[in-house]
Amino acid sequence: MSDISHVAVVAAPQRPAVRRSWLRPERIKGLSLVAVLLATILLFNVVVDDYLSSRFVSRLLIAVSITALLAAGESLVIITRNIDLSVGATVGVSAYLTAELLADNRGLPAVAAVAFAVAIGAALGLVNGLLVAVARVPSIIVTLGTLSIFRSVLTSHAGGQTIATGSLPTWLIDLPRSTVFTIGDYEVRTMFALAVVIVVLLHLAMQFTRGGRHLYALGSNPEAARQAGLRDRRLEIAAFVACGALAGLAGFLYVGRFGTINVTAGSGLELAAIAAAVVGGVSTLGGSGTVMGAFLGAVLIALLDQSLVRVQQISEFWRDAILGTLILLAVVLDVSVGRRLRAAARTDALSEARPVGPQQTGPNTIRNGVSDG
Amino acid sequence: MPSDPAPSRSTAQPLLSIFEASKSFGSTHALRGVTLDLSPGEVHALVGENGAGKSTLIKIITGLYRPDAGTVCVDGEAVEMKGAADAQSLGIACIYQEPLVFPDLSVSENIFMNSAGAGRFVRWRDMHRRAGDILRRLEVDIDPRALASQLTVGAQQAVEIAKAMSRDVRVLIMDEPTAALSAHEVRRLFRQVRGLTEAGVAVLFVSHRLDEVFELSDRITVLRDGRHISTKPTADVTEVALIRDMVGRELDDFFHRTAHAPGDAALSVEGLGRRGAFEDVSFEVREGEVLGFAGLVGSGRTEVAESLFGVWPADSGTIRRGDVEVEIDSPRTAMDHGIAYVSEDRRRLGLSLPQSVTTNITLAGLRRFVSRWRLVDRDAERRTADTYRERLGIRTSSLSAPVASLSGGNQQKVMLAKWLDVKPSVLVLDEPTRGIDVGAKADVHELIGELSAAGVAVILISSDLPEVLAMSDRVLVMREGRQMGIFEGADLDQERIMSAAVGVA
Repeated sequence: MSDISHVAVVAAPQRPAVRRSWLRPERIKGLSLVAVLLATILLFNVVVDDYLSSRFVSRLLIAVSITALLAAGESLVIITRNIDLSVGATVGVSAYLTAELLADNRGLPAVAAVAFAVAIGAALGLVNGLLVAVARVPSIIVTLGTLSIFRSVLTSHAGGQTIATGSLPTWLIDLPRSTVFTIGDYEVRTMFALAVVIVVLLHLAMQFTRGGRHLYALGSNPEAARQAGLRDRRLEIAAFVACGALAGLAGFLYVGRFGTINVTAGSGLELAAIAAAVVGGVSTLGGSGTVMGAFLGAVLIALLDQSLVRVQQISEFWRDAILGTLILLAVVLDVSVGRRLRAAARTDALSEARPVGPQQTGPNTIRNGVSDG
Repeated sequence: MPSDPAPSRSTAQPLLSIFEASKSFGSTHALRGVTLDLSPGEVHALVGENGAGKSTLIKIITGLYRPDAGTVCVDGEAVEMKGAADAQSLGIACIYQEPLVFPDLSVSENIFMNSAGAGRFVRWRDMHRRAGDILRRLEVDIDPRALASQLTVGAQQAVEIAKAMSRDVRVLIMDEPTAALSAHEVRRLFRQVRGLTEAGVAVLFVSHRLDEVFELSDRITVLRDGRHISTKPTADVTEVALIRDMVGRELDDFFHRTAHAPGDAALSVEGLGRRGAFEDVSFEVREGEVLGFAGLVGSGRTEVAESLFGVWPADSGTIRRGDVEVEIDSPRTAMDHGIAYVSEDRRRLGLSLPQSVTTNITLAGLRRFVSRWRLVDRDAERRTADTYRERLGIRTSSLSAPVASLSGGNQQKVMLAKWLDVKPSVLVLDEPTRGIDVGAKADVHELIGELSAAGVAVILISSDLPEVLAMSDRVLVMREGRQMGIFEGADLDQERIMSAAVGVA
């Protein structure tokens, strides 16, 4: 066969593969989320009198602190192409058992109580992780099952008993009101500060540690990850354990926030967590999205939830529908805008690789100079 | 590392040797007692038809499969690899035909993903700089910060090579590395390979392009039906002898096609265009005619085909079937007008890999298998699938086996069967023989001949110029989204068509 028999000129490698732009897709996602947040605040500020009262902000921050932790954990799992439906149940188990422990030992140091809550969550996460990674059961099935199992085991353990605020140590009851510092009228609550610190650390870990990048790699292309010698099972298990541990910690905060704990604690939180991650730009296809994005998603959802309460005209029943619409909108925008951005990148590449006719003017023709000869 | 370019290489201790390796999947014997060794500094070519066992052998060397019997030795010592990580720590790397990248990660991360010994933390700046260095050594200009999903296949391939180079590789397996590369990139790749062998790396080079095998390799090993057929120094092998070893029979004539008088116009296209893809394409293809589409990759051939099939409808020009102008705005309407399109990308667009051979074959024409109760008639499906298995020689353990379990050439045949089953009167074939072995290639050529003899109008898109020339009655050449001309008769020669395709006057 002659040399010219399979000529296939691809111009790409002879020029910069993409323009070195600061506006990468991830950044665009993050910025647009911040824009939506600000727009929401402005809108409600017009509609609601005394919207940004310090009481409202404090209530918002407390609500965010729980869903933010859950969303951060959920995003780790979703990034590896899995999903964890059991985080609400994990919050319930952790909250109830921690409350029970503290009710029985009121002198227990706070650190021990937190460690206990986190350990319980991590253990439940380990169950999920092992079933997904070792038994190779799809995570949506595994966690749908464990969601019911965790809750049922808790119910049978509790026997329908409620742990009342009165039996808990006062430091825990006071936790939601404890404040790290104040800015003007606004108080930055300890619970919120704790959640922010954890989210930031987790975000940095995902961006700057090898393990974090491996989670992205696994979700981006599992086959390539296996062939690259990544320990895929261990990574999946780690994601579930981390998600469980964060849910355990959220369970601890849940006790502090509500005080009175029964076996239904945390029901439905899994949906809030998944919604926050998705709204925050974590792709359900795995491999992309950030913990910080999930956090912003959690803030946006809590903001809407808390704000809609204050608009008299909107009944409680419509609130869920509005939230649902927001989630769908986020996904639709992610898919369609994402597709358009990718198409634009490709069209760019095409027009650079092969100029279509001399009549075409504009920036493309300038770049055409570097196509392969 | 010792560099010994002398011809006495084979006396050195092999870096890697496989002894009597066997592997079965169910009742299929993928490998039966294959022996192979790789010496430092040698390029060892591995050839064979699709399904000969090359992929299985590669997966054993890269630790993805464990052989049922036989041993793998590195530096003369038997090793047992439990996964890809073990192979990597032994210095074995593999570059695949379809780059196995992480689309959501940066180029740098793709290159350094599996570097052992890197710290716990990622130093982005440092990593981008080192990635840039390696890419420059490879003479490619890729932004290390770009996401892999933004690169073309050719550029992704370069990233794969950079990945292998970033590690201390001793054995490099290249599985059809040139399939998606330009001639220019192939030459660059060969320079890189020679650079590696001079440093003592052993290269196992798997390719269907025999000219490349002869150019690059020191020894050639042939596999057939999972068996080791021969290992000879390249200098002692002729192309004819090699092909005979591969197929087990003489293939004196690759191309079976006797031209015959074409009938009426089946499809006429006038001034067809789609913004950003191609413009002003006009041609006519008649019943029983084969119209070749030549041009470089990216010249707009596939884009024209996609518009004919309604995947991305054209935005200017007309399409006529016979005398009737038709509007094609979706694959559905294209099929209603008797047009079928066999995509160049069988994994992504052509086949449903996890589904069975039967399901794939009957998918496009499924409405004909629906019985009275609007249920699918499984027996009729199976009978049809069986007919195509017979007719096209599809090699599979069972018709209910997932298509993913078939070799590339057989997957290609399944895809052809699917589109033949809609009984098209215009059939567009996009690179129907790329990456498949000579036997399957001959089968496809024979099929094209049969179809045109039966009056089907065939549009054949191919980067294999001898193939286009041998199969086509006329050849349309495209360059940069524009039609450069239609060649026929005495004008049908390689040089003229190539000149038109690259734009040399």
